[in-house]
Amino acid sequence: MRRALAVLALPLVPLSAAAQQTQGWGQLNQQAETGFDWTAPAFKDTGIGWMAWTPATLAFFGVILTLILLMCVLEWRRPGGAPRDGVLGLTTTRGDRLFISLLGSAYVFIGWLLVMGTPVWGGLALALVWAAFVFWKV
Amino acid sequence: MKTENQRAWFLVAPVVLLVAFNALVPLMTVVNYSVQETFGNNQFFWSGLKWFEEILTSERFQAALGRQLFFTFTILIIQIPLGIIIALAMPRRGIWVPVCLVLMSLPLLIPWNVVGAMWNIFALPDIGLLGYFLNQVVGIDYNYTRDPVAAWITLIAMDVWHWTSLVVLLTYAGLVSIPDAYYQAAKIDGASPWAVFRYIQLPKLSRVLTIAVLLRFMDSFMIYTEVSVLTGGGPGNSTTLLSIDLVKIALGQFDLGPAAAMSLIYFLITLAVSWVFYTVMTRNEGK
Repeated sequence: MRRALAVLALPLVPLSAAAQQTQGWGQLNQQAETGFDWTAPAFKDTGIGWMAWTPATLAFFGVILTLILLMCVLEWRRPGGAPRDGVLGLTTTRGDRLFISLLGSAYVFIGWLLVMGTPVWGGLALALVWAAFVFWKV
Repeated sequence: MKTENQRAWFLVAPVVLLVAFNALVPLMTVVNYSVQETFGNNQFFWSGLKWFEEILTSERFQAALGRQLFFTFTILIIQIPLGIIIALAMPRRGIWVPVCLVLMSLPLLIPWNVVGAMWNIFALPDIGLLGYFLNQVVGIDYNYTRDPVAAWITLIAMDVWHWTSLVVLLTYAGLVSIPDAYYQAAKIDGASPWAVFRYIQLPKLSRVLTIAVLLRFMDSFMIYTEVSVLTGGGPGNSTTLLSIDLVKIALGQFDLGPAAAMSLIYFLITLAVSWVFYTVMTRNEGK
Protein backbone atom coordinates (compact mmCIF):
# COMPACT_ATOMS: atom_id res chain seq x y z
CA MET A 1 0.00 0.00 0.00
CA ARG A 2 2.76 2.38 1.02
CA ARG A 3 4.67 1.52 -2.10
CA ALA A 4 1.62 2.20 -4.23
CA LEU A 5 1.30 5.63 -2.64
CA ALA A 6 4.94 6.33 -3.34
CA VAL A 7 4.45 5.36 -6.94
CA LEU A 8 1.42 7.62 -7.16
CA ALA A 9 3.42 10.47 -5.64
CA LEU A 10 6.23 10.13 -8.14
CA PRO A 11 4.68 12.40 -10.74
CA LEU A 12 4.50 15.08 -8.02
CA VAL A 13 8.30 15.17 -7.58
CA PRO A 14 8.88 17.59 -10.42
CA LEU A 15 6.09 19.74 -9.02
CA SER A 16 7.73 19.96 -5.61
CA ALA A 17 11.00 20.81 -7.33
CA ALA A 18 9.21 23.58 -9.10
CA ALA A 19 7.79 24.71 -5.77
CA GLN A 20 11.29 24.85 -4.36
CA GLN A 21 12.34 26.77 -7.40
CA THR A 22 9.80 29.47 -6.69
CA GLN A 23 9.97 29.50 -2.88
CA GLY A 24 13.28 28.18 -1.61
CA TRP A 25 16.71 28.52 -3.16
CA GLY A 26 15.17 29.73 -6.40
CA GLN A 27 14.47 33.00 -4.62
CA LEU A 28 18.15 33.87 -4.49
CA ASN A 29 19.42 36.51 -6.90
CA GLN A 30 15.88 37.55 -7.78
CA GLN A 31 14.62 41.09 -7.50
CA ALA A 32 11.97 41.32 -4.80
CA GLU A 33 8.78 42.62 -6.33
CA THR A 34 8.01 45.76 -4.35
CA GLY A 35 6.01 47.79 -6.82
CA PHE A 36 7.01 51.32 -7.77
CA ASP A 37 10.17 52.57 -6.09
CA TRP A 38 11.24 56.22 -6.32
CA THR A 39 14.86 55.33 -5.73
CA ALA A 40 15.23 52.26 -7.95
CA PRO A 41 17.27 52.62 -11.13
CA ALA A 42 15.22 53.64 -14.14
CA PHE A 43 15.92 53.06 -17.84
CA LYS A 44 18.54 50.61 -16.68
CA ASP A 45 18.76 48.45 -19.78
CA THR A 46 18.35 51.24 -22.31
CA GLY A 47 20.86 53.34 -24.16
CA ILE A 48 20.90 55.93 -21.36
CA GLY A 49 21.56 53.40 -18.62
CA TRP A 50 24.92 55.08 -17.97
CA MET A 51 23.11 58.25 -16.89
CA ALA A 52 21.88 56.39 -13.81
CA TRP A 53 18.40 57.87 -13.72
CA THR A 54 16.02 57.20 -10.89
CA PRO A 55 12.38 58.32 -10.69
CA ALA A 56 13.40 60.69 -7.87
CA THR A 57 16.04 62.54 -9.90
CA LEU A 58 13.75 62.48 -12.91
CA ALA A 59 11.10 64.19 -10.80
CA PHE A 60 13.67 66.74 -9.60
CA PHE A 61 14.51 67.79 -13.14
CA GLY A 62 10.87 67.48 -14.11
CA VAL A 63 9.93 70.08 -11.49
CA ILE A 64 12.61 72.48 -12.71
CA LEU A 65 11.61 71.95 -16.34
CA THR A 66 7.97 72.53 -15.44
CA LEU A 67 8.89 75.78 -13.70
CA ILE A 68 10.83 76.94 -16.75
CA LEU A 69 7.94 76.00 -19.06
CA LEU A 70 5.58 77.84 -16.71
CA MET A 71 7.80 80.91 -17.06
CA CYS A 72 7.62 80.52 -20.86
CA VAL A 73 3.83 80.36 -20.76
CA LEU A 74 3.63 83.36 -18.44
CA GLU A 75 5.97 85.30 -20.71
CA TRP A 76 3.82 84.36 -23.67
CA ARG A 77 0.58 85.40 -21.96
CA ARG A 78 2.01 88.48 -20.22
CA PRO A 79 5.17 89.63 -22.02
CA GLY A 80 7.76 91.85 -20.40
CA GLY A 81 8.71 89.66 -17.44
CA ALA A 82 6.96 91.87 -14.85
CA PRO A 83 10.08 93.77 -13.73
CA ARG A 84 10.07 95.51 -10.36
CA ASP A 85 12.47 96.94 -7.78
CA GLY A 86 12.75 94.59 -4.86
CA VAL A 87 14.06 94.82 -1.32
CA LEU A 88 17.57 93.75 -2.35
CA GLY A 89 17.90 96.89 -4.47
CA LEU A 90 17.69 94.83 -7.64
CA THR A 91 15.39 95.14 -10.57
CA THR A 92 14.14 91.61 -11.08
CA THR A 93 11.91 89.98 -13.64
CA ARG A 94 9.97 86.86 -12.74
CA GLY A 95 12.69 84.75 -14.38
CA ASP A 96 15.29 86.39 -12.12
CA ARG A 97 13.08 85.68 -9.15
CA LEU A 98 12.83 82.01 -10.11
CA PHE A 99 16.60 81.80 -10.48
CA ILE A 100 17.20 83.49 -7.13
CA SER A 101 14.68 81.16 -5.49
CA LEU A 102 16.31 78.04 -6.91
CA LEU A 103 19.89 79.12 -6.21
CA GLY A 104 18.95 80.29 -2.71
CA SER A 105 17.11 77.02 -2.09
CA ALA A 106 20.24 75.08 -2.99
CA TYR A 107 22.13 77.05 -0.36
CA VAL A 108 19.33 76.53 2.15
CA PHE A 109 19.72 72.77 1.64
CA ILE A 110 23.50 73.02 1.96
CA GLY A 111 23.11 74.96 5.19
CA TRP A 112 20.54 72.50 6.50
CA LEU A 113 22.83 69.54 5.73
CA LEU A 114 25.72 71.31 7.44
CA VAL A 115 23.79 72.17 10.59
CA MET A 116 21.02 69.57 10.93
CA GLY A 117 22.01 66.77 8.54
CA THR A 118 19.53 64.41 6.91
CA PRO A 119 16.55 64.23 6.57
CA VAL A 120 16.03 67.56 4.88
CA TRP A 121 12.27 68.11 5.22
CA GLY A 122 12.92 71.15 7.39
CA GLY A 123 15.29 72.43 4.73
CA LEU A 124 12.60 71.92 2.12
CA ALA A 125 10.14 73.97 4.21
CA LEU A 126 12.73 76.73 4.62
CA ALA A 127 13.44 76.69 0.89
CA LEU A 128 9.75 77.07 0.12
CA VAL A 129 9.54 79.96 2.58
CA TRP A 130 12.56 81.52 0.88
CA ALA A 131 11.00 81.08 -2.57
CA ALA A 132 7.76 82.63 -1.36
CA PHE A 133 9.70 85.56 0.08
CA VAL A 134 11.61 86.04 -3.18
CA PHE A 135 8.43 86.07 -5.27
CA TRP A 136 6.73 88.36 -2.79
CA LYS A 137 9.41 90.94 -2.00
CA VAL A 138 12.59 90.62 -4.10
CA MET B 1 -1.48 92.63 -29.26
CA LYS B 2 1.45 91.12 -31.07
CA THR B 3 4.32 93.57 -31.35
CA GLU B 4 7.29 91.34 -32.05
CA ASN B 5 8.18 88.50 -34.32
CA GLN B 6 9.22 85.60 -32.11
CA ARG B 7 10.57 83.51 -34.95
CA ALA B 8 14.15 84.46 -34.14
CA TRP B 9 14.04 82.00 -31.26
CA PHE B 10 14.34 79.16 -33.77
CA LEU B 11 17.79 80.47 -34.68
CA VAL B 12 18.87 79.71 -31.12
CA ALA B 13 17.83 76.07 -31.45
CA PRO B 14 21.21 74.73 -32.67
CA VAL B 15 22.98 76.31 -29.70
CA VAL B 16 20.37 74.92 -27.33
CA LEU B 17 20.93 71.47 -28.80
CA LEU B 18 24.70 71.81 -28.52
CA VAL B 19 24.52 73.00 -24.93
CA ALA B 20 22.11 70.19 -24.12
CA PHE B 21 24.63 67.64 -25.28
CA ASN B 22 27.81 69.08 -23.86
CA ALA B 23 26.49 70.63 -20.65
CA LEU B 24 23.00 69.60 -19.63
CA VAL B 25 23.30 65.85 -20.17
CA PRO B 26 26.59 65.60 -18.24
CA LEU B 27 25.22 67.85 -15.51
CA MET B 28 22.10 65.71 -15.16
CA THR B 29 24.30 62.62 -14.98
CA VAL B 30 26.36 64.21 -12.22
CA VAL B 31 23.17 64.94 -10.28
CA ASN B 32 22.09 61.32 -10.72
CA TYR B 33 25.48 60.03 -9.59
CA SER B 34 25.50 62.32 -6.56
CA VAL B 35 22.58 60.53 -4.91
CA GLN B 36 23.71 56.99 -5.65
CA GLU B 37 26.54 54.63 -5.02
CA THR B 38 28.21 52.59 -7.72
CA PHE B 39 30.81 49.89 -7.79
CA GLY B 40 31.12 50.00 -11.54
CA ASN B 41 29.40 47.75 -14.05
CA ASN B 42 26.56 50.28 -14.35
CA GLN B 43 25.07 49.11 -11.05
CA PHE B 44 23.69 51.89 -8.89
CA PHE B 45 22.35 51.89 -5.35
CA TRP B 46 20.39 54.75 -3.87
CA SER B 47 22.18 56.66 -1.14
CA GLY B 48 20.08 59.81 -0.84
CA LEU B 49 21.84 62.95 0.33
CA LYS B 50 24.47 60.99 2.24
CA TRP B 51 27.34 62.09 -0.01
CA PHE B 52 26.40 65.75 0.29
CA GLU B 53 26.31 65.50 4.06
CA GLU B 54 29.60 63.63 4.15
CA ILE B 55 31.38 66.05 1.83
CA LEU B 56 30.05 69.18 3.54
CA THR B 57 31.06 68.02 7.00
CA SER B 58 34.36 66.44 6.00
CA GLU B 59 37.51 68.18 7.15
CA ARG B 60 39.16 67.28 3.90
CA PHE B 61 36.64 69.23 1.82
CA GLN B 62 36.62 72.19 4.17
CA ALA B 63 40.42 72.34 4.10
CA ALA B 64 40.50 72.17 0.29
CA LEU B 65 37.84 74.89 0.08
CA GLY B 66 39.83 77.04 2.50
CA ARG B 67 42.99 76.62 0.44
CA GLN B 68 41.03 77.40 -2.72
CA LEU B 69 39.59 80.63 -1.28
CA PHE B 70 42.98 81.64 0.10
CA PHE B 71 44.58 81.06 -3.29
CA THR B 72 41.90 82.97 -5.18
CA PHE B 73 41.89 85.99 -2.87
CA THR B 74 45.68 86.14 -2.73
CA ILE B 75 46.09 86.21 -6.49
CA LEU B 76 43.26 88.75 -6.83
CA ILE B 77 44.85 91.05 -4.25
CA ILE B 78 48.15 90.88 -6.13
CA GLN B 79 47.01 90.74 -9.75
CA ILE B 80 44.37 93.46 -9.86
CA PRO B 81 46.49 96.33 -8.39
CA LEU B 82 49.60 95.10 -10.20
CA GLY B 83 47.70 94.93 -13.47
CA ILE B 84 46.39 98.47 -13.01
CA ILE B 85 49.86 99.79 -12.18
CA ILE B 86 51.42 98.14 -15.24
CA ALA B 87 48.62 99.37 -17.50
CA LEU B 88 49.02 102.92 -16.20
CA ALA B 89 52.77 102.74 -16.83
CA MET B 90 52.37 101.49 -20.40
CA PRO B 91 52.81 104.04 -23.23
CA ARG B 92 49.62 105.27 -24.94
CA ARG B 93 51.16 106.06 -28.32
CA GLY B 94 54.36 105.44 -30.26
CA ILE B 95 56.22 102.34 -31.38
CA TRP B 96 56.46 100.93 -27.86
CA VAL B 97 52.70 100.30 -27.71
CA PRO B 98 52.75 97.16 -29.89
CA VAL B 99 55.94 95.96 -28.23
CA CYS B 100 54.38 96.23 -24.78
CA LEU B 101 51.12 94.64 -25.92
CA VAL B 102 52.88 91.67 -27.51
CA LEU B 103 55.11 91.20 -24.47
CA MET B 104 52.05 91.32 -22.24
CA SER B 105 50.17 88.82 -24.38
CA LEU B 106 52.96 86.25 -24.41
CA PRO B 107 52.20 84.56 -21.06
CA LEU B 108 48.55 84.28 -22.03
CA LEU B 109 49.46 82.34 -25.17
CA ILE B 110 51.29 79.60 -23.31
CA PRO B 111 49.23 76.47 -22.55
CA TRP B 112 48.48 75.83 -18.89
CA ASN B 113 50.43 72.59 -18.64
CA VAL B 114 53.47 74.20 -20.25
CA VAL B 115 53.34 77.01 -17.71
CA GLY B 116 53.25 74.40 -14.96
CA ALA B 117 56.17 72.49 -16.46
CA MET B 118 58.19 75.70 -16.98
CA TRP B 119 57.79 76.77 -13.39
CA ASN B 120 58.34 73.26 -12.14
CA ILE B 121 61.80 73.21 -13.73
CA PHE B 122 62.47 76.92 -13.18
CA ALA B 123 61.98 76.55 -9.43
CA LEU B 124 63.75 73.23 -8.87
CA PRO B 125 66.34 73.82 -6.12
CA ASP B 126 69.18 71.86 -7.71
CA ILE B 127 68.90 72.61 -11.43
CA GLY B 128 66.24 75.31 -11.89
CA LEU B 129 67.39 78.86 -12.49
CA LEU B 130 65.22 80.38 -9.76
CA GLY B 131 65.66 77.53 -7.28
CA TYR B 132 69.40 77.31 -7.74
CA PHE B 133 69.80 81.10 -7.52
CA LEU B 134 67.78 81.35 -4.31
CA ASN B 135 69.60 78.47 -2.65
CA GLN B 136 73.17 78.98 -3.82
CA VAL B 137 73.47 82.73 -4.42
CA VAL B 138 70.96 84.32 -2.05
CA GLY B 139 71.34 81.54 0.48
CA ILE B 140 67.65 80.92 1.26
CA ASP B 141 66.65 77.34 1.93
CA TYR B 142 64.03 77.17 -0.79
CA ASN B 143 62.58 73.85 -1.89
CA TYR B 144 59.00 73.83 -3.15
CA THR B 145 58.87 70.05 -3.27
CA ARG B 146 59.41 69.83 0.48
CA ASP B 147 58.30 73.07 2.09
CA PRO B 148 54.58 74.07 1.94
CA VAL B 149 55.35 77.80 2.22
CA ALA B 150 57.78 77.64 -0.69
CA ALA B 151 55.23 75.64 -2.67
CA TRP B 152 52.58 78.30 -2.07
CA ILE B 153 54.93 81.14 -3.00
CA THR B 154 55.88 79.35 -6.21
CA LEU B 155 52.24 78.65 -7.00
CA ILE B 156 51.18 82.26 -6.51
CA ALA B 157 54.20 83.60 -8.40
CA MET B 158 53.33 81.28 -11.28
CA ASP B 159 49.74 82.42 -11.41
CA VAL B 160 50.72 86.08 -11.16
CA TRP B 161 53.20 85.59 -13.98
CA HIS B 162 50.65 83.80 -16.12
CA TRP B 163 47.54 85.92 -15.60
CA THR B 164 48.42 89.47 -14.57
CA SER B 165 48.68 90.22 -18.29
CA LEU B 166 44.98 89.64 -18.68
CA VAL B 167 44.22 92.35 -16.13
CA VAL B 168 46.80 94.60 -17.79
CA LEU B 169 45.29 94.19 -21.25
CA LEU B 170 41.73 94.73 -20.03
CA THR B 171 42.70 97.77 -17.99
CA TYR B 172 44.75 99.17 -20.84
CA ALA B 173 41.81 98.82 -23.21
CA GLY B 174 39.67 100.65 -20.66
CA LEU B 175 42.25 103.43 -20.24
CA VAL B 176 42.63 103.96 -23.98
CA SER B 177 38.89 104.39 -24.38
CA ILE B 178 38.73 107.36 -21.97
CA PRO B 179 38.28 110.51 -24.11
CA ASP B 180 41.06 113.12 -24.00
CA ALA B 181 38.60 115.79 -22.93
CA TYR B 182 38.57 114.41 -19.38
CA TYR B 183 42.34 114.71 -19.09
CA GLN B 184 42.29 118.24 -20.56
CA ALA B 185 39.64 119.29 -18.06
CA ALA B 186 41.71 117.79 -15.25
CA LYS B 187 44.78 119.64 -16.47
CA ILE B 188 42.92 122.97 -16.54
CA ASP B 189 41.77 122.35 -12.96
CA GLY B 190 45.34 121.47 -11.98
CA ALA B 191 44.43 118.00 -10.77
CA SER B 192 47.20 115.85 -9.31
CA PRO B 193 48.01 112.49 -10.93
CA TRP B 194 46.33 110.78 -7.96
CA ALA B 195 43.17 112.86 -8.41
CA VAL B 196 43.14 112.01 -12.12
CA PHE B 197 43.40 108.34 -11.25
CA ARG B 198 40.87 108.47 -8.43
CA TYR B 199 38.18 110.60 -10.07
CA ILE B 200 38.61 109.95 -13.80
CA GLN B 201 40.41 106.71 -14.52
CA LEU B 202 39.13 104.48 -11.74
CA PRO B 203 35.42 105.29 -12.26
CA LYS B 204 35.81 104.83 -15.99
CA LEU B 205 37.60 101.54 -15.40
CA SER B 206 35.08 100.16 -12.93
CA ARG B 207 33.20 98.13 -15.50
CA VAL B 208 36.24 96.60 -17.15
CA LEU B 209 37.78 95.91 -13.73
CA THR B 210 34.63 94.07 -12.66
CA ILE B 211 35.03 91.86 -15.69
CA ALA B 212 38.72 91.37 -14.87
CA VAL B 213 37.92 90.38 -11.29
CA LEU B 214 35.18 88.02 -12.45
CA LEU B 215 37.41 86.36 -15.04
CA ARG B 216 40.30 86.04 -12.63
CA PHE B 217 38.05 84.75 -9.88
CA MET B 218 36.51 82.07 -12.08
CA ASP B 219 39.80 81.00 -13.65
CA SER B 220 41.63 80.80 -10.36
CA PHE B 221 38.72 79.10 -8.64
CA MET B 222 38.75 76.38 -11.27
CA ILE B 223 42.54 76.16 -11.69
CA TYR B 224 43.75 72.62 -12.14
CA THR B 225 46.41 72.01 -14.77
CA GLU B 226 49.12 74.38 -13.59
CA VAL B 227 48.91 73.26 -9.97
CA SER B 228 48.71 69.64 -11.00
CA VAL B 229 51.90 69.91 -13.04
CA LEU B 230 53.77 72.16 -10.60
CA THR B 231 53.12 70.49 -7.26
CA GLY B 232 50.47 67.82 -7.86
CA GLY B 233 48.77 69.12 -4.71
CA GLY B 234 51.83 68.57 -2.54
CA PRO B 235 53.92 68.57 -0.49
CA GLY B 236 51.48 66.44 1.46
CA ASN B 237 48.13 68.07 0.82
CA SER B 238 49.33 71.63 1.26
CA THR B 239 48.46 72.83 -2.25
CA THR B 240 45.53 70.49 -2.85
CA LEU B 241 42.96 72.94 -4.17
CA LEU B 242 39.32 72.00 -4.77
CA SER B 243 39.81 70.83 -8.34
CA ILE B 244 42.85 68.74 -7.44
CA ASP B 245 40.96 67.11 -4.58
CA LEU B 246 37.97 66.51 -6.84
CA VAL B 247 40.10 64.69 -9.39
CA LYS B 248 41.72 62.66 -6.62
CA ILE B 249 38.31 61.53 -5.37
CA ALA B 250 36.76 60.94 -8.79
CA LEU B 251 39.63 59.39 -10.73
CA GLY B 252 42.09 58.38 -8.02
CA GLN B 253 39.73 56.71 -5.59
CA PHE B 254 36.95 56.22 -8.15
CA ASP B 255 34.36 57.37 -5.60
CA LEU B 256 31.96 58.68 -8.20
CA GLY B 257 29.10 59.44 -5.78
CA PRO B 258 31.07 61.68 -3.40
CA ALA B 259 32.91 63.24 -6.35
CA ALA B 260 29.60 64.10 -8.01
CA ALA B 261 28.26 65.63 -4.80
CA MET B 262 31.46 67.63 -4.37
CA SER B 263 31.41 68.90 -7.93
CA LEU B 264 27.81 70.06 -7.48
CA ILE B 265 28.74 72.00 -4.35
CA TYR B 266 31.73 73.41 -6.25
CA PHE B 267 29.40 74.33 -9.13
CA LEU B 268 26.96 76.06 -6.78
CA ILE B 269 29.74 78.25 -5.40
CA THR B 270 30.90 79.34 -8.85
CA LEU B 271 27.29 79.84 -9.94
CA ALA B 272 26.52 82.08 -6.97
CA VAL B 273 29.66 84.17 -7.43
CA SER B 274 29.03 84.54 -11.16
CA TRP B 275 25.48 85.61 -10.46
CA VAL B 276 26.64 88.25 -7.98
CA PHE B 277 29.16 89.64 -10.46
CA TYR B 278 26.67 89.57 -13.30
CA THR B 279 24.09 91.37 -11.18
CA VAL B 280 26.58 94.03 -10.11
CA MET B 281 27.68 94.57 -13.70
CA THR B 282 24.22 94.82 -15.21
CA ARG B 283 22.96 96.98 -12.36
CA ASN B 284 25.61 99.60 -13.10
CA GLU B 285 24.70 99.37 -16.75
CA GLY B 286 21.09 100.35 -16.18
CA LYS B 287 21.85 103.53 -14.27
